[in-house]
Amino acid sequence: MIISKQVEFSASHICRSTLLSDAENESVYGAAANPLSHGHNYLVDVAIEGTPDPVTGMILDLKLLKEILEAKVLHVYDHRLINREVDSFAHKVPTVENIAIDIWNRLVAEIPPPATLQSVRVHETRELFAEYRGEA
Amino acid sequence: MTVHLGRRYGFPAAHRLYSHLLDEEQNRALFGKCANPYGHGHNYEFELDLRGPVDPVTGRAADLPALDAMVEREILSVFRHTNLNDLPPFRETVPTTENLAVEVLKLLKKAWPAEPALGQVVLEKVRIWETERNICELSA
Repeated sequence: MIISKQVEFSASHICRSTLLSDAENESVYGAAANPLSHGHNYLVDVAIEGTPDPVTGMILDLKLLKEILEAKVLHVYDHRLINREVDSFAHKVPTVENIAIDIWNRLVAEIPPPATLQSVRVHETRELFAEYRGEA
Repeated sequence: MTVHLGRRYGFPAAHRLYSHLLDEEQNRALFGKCANPYGHGHNYEFELDLRGPVDPVTGRAADLPALDAMVEREILSVFRHTNLNDLPPFRETVPTTENLAVEVLKLLKKAWPAEPALGQVVLEKVRIWETERNICELSA
């Protein structure tokens, strides 16, 4: 069984790679390549897989999940310029794909067994989301 | 690393749900007000579920400008501000959300191989919203 919790953060980013020319960056990222940055209200769906505990009826204590998400996601990302203030993006473009992978990496060891992290879905806009399921 | 992407688009269009294989009364019973003779419209939205490896340089699992251009050419410009019943695929087939999903998927699968920029991207699913409460999902 899967339960899913959603959290929201607001952050800015710049989608530009130092390995690409200005023209290539414009072509790959469009307006998101603006070197002065822009921002989004990101919505993050965190799906947890497990079996409800026979006593509590819960896969995972949702209070605990909320604390984990606050510490590992919101504290890191909320009201930040991701390129400058989230250390994993010092040399990586903060596309929504990479943000989903990064949030997965921050959460995967935090979920107390037997519950496991099933997926992290990050909505950058209403029109675009990326979901990472830990696949190679 | 493989990432799943969801990309959403929209177009407004008119349709009428009416089957020529059924009589007036049967159409009314089956489709209700959707069978009204002059048709009606929706702001359709559809989401494509994609899967692809994240490019280590760009951080992207799909070339979104190439995808958007293809969807504009193959789907949005075809359906936007049309009466679906007047389009060739729906002259004999009722333009339900189900049949619209079938047609959208067919057009995308036909165009996909001609898009080198989407070579490593797999189309997994099409999900169409006729309204917030009427949604059809079709696996590719």
